[in-house]
Amino acid sequence: MAIATKLKILESSIRLFNENGLANVRLQQIADETGISVGNLAYHFKNKDAIVSFVYESLFDELGAILSGYMGNPDFTDFDQQIGQYFSFFHKYHFYLIDLFEIDRSFPEIRTQWQNHVTKMHLQIRSRIDFYQQKGLLVTEPHEGIFDLLTNNLWMSIVFWIPQQVLKGKTVDQNYFKEAVWSQLLPYLTPKGLDAYFTLIHPILRDLDNL
Amino acid sequence: MLPNFILDAQLYQRVLQGLNSLHFTDHVGAGCDLDFIKADYWLADSAVIDRLVLRKGTWDINLLFAHHTTPLRFLSRRITSHSCPKRAAMMAGFMRRLAAKDQRGTLRLSLEHLDFNCN
Repeated sequence: MAIATKLKILESSIRLFNENGLANVRLQQIADETGISVGNLAYHFKNKDAIVSFVYESLFDELGAILSGYMGNPDFTDFDQQIGQYFSFFHKYHFYLIDLFEIDRSFPEIRTQWQNHVTKMHLQIRSRIDFYQQKGLLVTEPHEGIFDLLTNNLWMSIVFWIPQQVLKGKTVDQNYFKEAVWSQLLPYLTPKGLDAYFTLIHPILRDLDNL
Repeated sequence: MLPNFILDAQLYQRVLQGLNSLHFTDHVGAGCDLDFIKADYWLADSAVIDRLVLRKGTWDINLLFAHHTTPLRFLSRRITSHSCPKRAAMMAGFMRRLAAKDQRGTLRLSLEHLDFNCN
């Protein structure tokens, strides 16, 4: 029962953080959204910081699960699947950007964890590029450092694509997100890579379009 | 409370390289790779030795099947256990005779077959 209530509080908190930002949410709002009294809320979490820590614990668990699925499959579908998971993740927790600076200031331990996960994301993308190059799906690096830039661009697309769409007032769509990420890689694909892309990934994106 | 264990970036990169290389070194196996599981014909020409091992207060009866010319090819299986050592020894004898191809025990192992090099 206590676990179920905690999960309900977690869901309500994420919803409210996404709508109002972390700093603008009060305990009363979380209690109202969950459908419990503030006293009951205080029984589960002694203060707002405890709720924020719990939310971030859940956030890092999910991000860790996405990262642990690295390279289960040697073809492009593995990356495509991971891009889809990143989309769901950043869509679910899109308050992360709104409160990036607030978190930096108030919760230094969360900031450190963010940095650890971001480093892992970066390294995974770079490692994928090396792997696809070894497999002959990607061209050899045209100039030294190009693939480091490509890694950074891919990472930025994954992390900041949703906020920039929100900023522009445009719809946040998984298919569009995936295309935005894949479009960074397309110019560097070899004929073999393009063939793999159009055989494995393009049909999936088209299917999503038709949904 | 202990801090969370964290791999540093350099080590994590090496782990990722290792995962990448798995896809170059590992290949899909063929059905015949598992033939060794059913290739047990050699057991027909094996000498059977019974072993009693005291474990957790009971006597385990183990049967060891060793090929009579190449004794390094052997298989050991725990069959059952008894709390009484005499009973265990008797049952082990029965089981050995039941399992052995030649019930009189003419198939024997010799140290010479092991082809030891004492250098």
